[in-house]
Amino acid sequence: MKVCVLYSGGKDSNLALFKAYREFEVVCLVSLSPKSEESVLFHYPNVELVKLQAESLKLPLIMKTCLDNEESGLKALYEALKEAKEVYDVEGVITGAIRSTYQATRFQRVCDNLNLWCFNPLWLRDEVSILNEVLDYGFEIVFTRIAGYPLNRAILGKKLTRKTIKTLENMREFVNPAGEGGEYETLVLDMPLFTKKLKIVDYEIVGGDYDAMLIVKSVELVEK
Amino acid sequence: MITVVSTCKYKLSEEEFVRPIVEIVRVCGFDYKIVRYYEIIDLNDCSKVIICGTALRDFDYLNHIDNFELLVDFEGDVLGICAGYYILALLFSNELVRMKKIGVYDVKIVKENPLVETKNIRGYFLHNYALKDINDNLECLAVHDDEVSIFRVKRKNFYGISFHPEVLNKELIVNFLKF
Repeated sequence: MKVCVLYSGGKDSNLALFKAYREFEVVCLVSLSPKSEESVLFHYPNVELVKLQAESLKLPLIMKTCLDNEESGLKALYEALKEAKEVYDVEGVITGAIRSTYQATRFQRVCDNLNLWCFNPLWLRDEVSILNEVLDYGFEIVFTRIAGYPLNRAILGKKLTRKTIKTLENMREFVNPAGEGGEYETLVLDMPLFTKKLKIVDYEIVGGDYDAMLIVKSVELVEK
Repeated sequence: MITVVSTCKYKLSEEEFVRPIVEIVRVCGFDYKIVRYYEIIDLNDCSKVIICGTALRDFDYLNHIDNFELLVDFEGDVLGICAGYYILALLFSNELVRMKKIGVYDVKIVKENPLVETKNIRGYFLHNYALKDINDNLECLAVHDDEVSIFRVKRKNFYGISFHPEVLNKELIVNFLKF
């Protein structure tokens, strides 16, 4: 089956992609770019970074922009998946949804409207096991956004390690360890399917102590 | 021993529909084995069977419905979730009707039963078909609008659930395991 992956460039969509590769023919990535980080449905990806990741994966990228509200997000998703179906003969969609029934319901409905299969290989997974699994596979991941105490800006730009996982596990009372509630966002610099890895050359951190973002100012693809 | 039956055509769907069930069984401390819908279900040493759901577009298991017929005479307990609900309904000669439902909806418990302790719950639904009417082989335990959301096979400990309790109602599965 030819499938596309809903791709934000973070750990969950990359792990979903990695799992999909073992069973299906992944023919393209689909990325939605909301106006801001307030989007109810999608992560707020850095468009240029996702383009580089797609280049490293040697996969075509369908990218649509949308407003932060649900109606605009769903319309853009529908258009993007329709294009994936028409241009790349996609029959199924892979998502990195973990626990949000709000998100899963909407993805399932859009796929159903387009007669596409919908696969959610991380669905209901224990969040800590996901973090450990991506490290087991050799993913290289950095934190790019935090939104809420007790995570603070000092973690931005830092790599995900076993020690960080332990820290996140200890914060479980305040933070979903996988960041699914938007507590944090990540960027995958390298994973087994990348032909080249991303190297952040210059960046800037903006925002307050507990609500901040890493803005990548310069990045390049380098040999692994 | 709990036999967990996968109705998934694709392995990737098992991550979504079988693994969460297995995780609940494992955490509750039961031994389990997983069988696929295209295999003969081995009921030796098995006290309970859970038939899991699958993707919205997946109906391949219906081509292997014969493999489930030995369940009719099974003396243990059976829980059918979504696709498992379809299978139990069909095994006991009921007719499913087209009824697409995707999302979280209220479920009203209409008859006291050992699976659900409260009167009303919210369930995550993902199905294309369901039962509107049931024959004398089944009794209705819970509804959503005009859909039979939970049924029991009369004179058996067989239960069908049209929604996915592993998402918002794990206690239903735990209660079943504790029978």
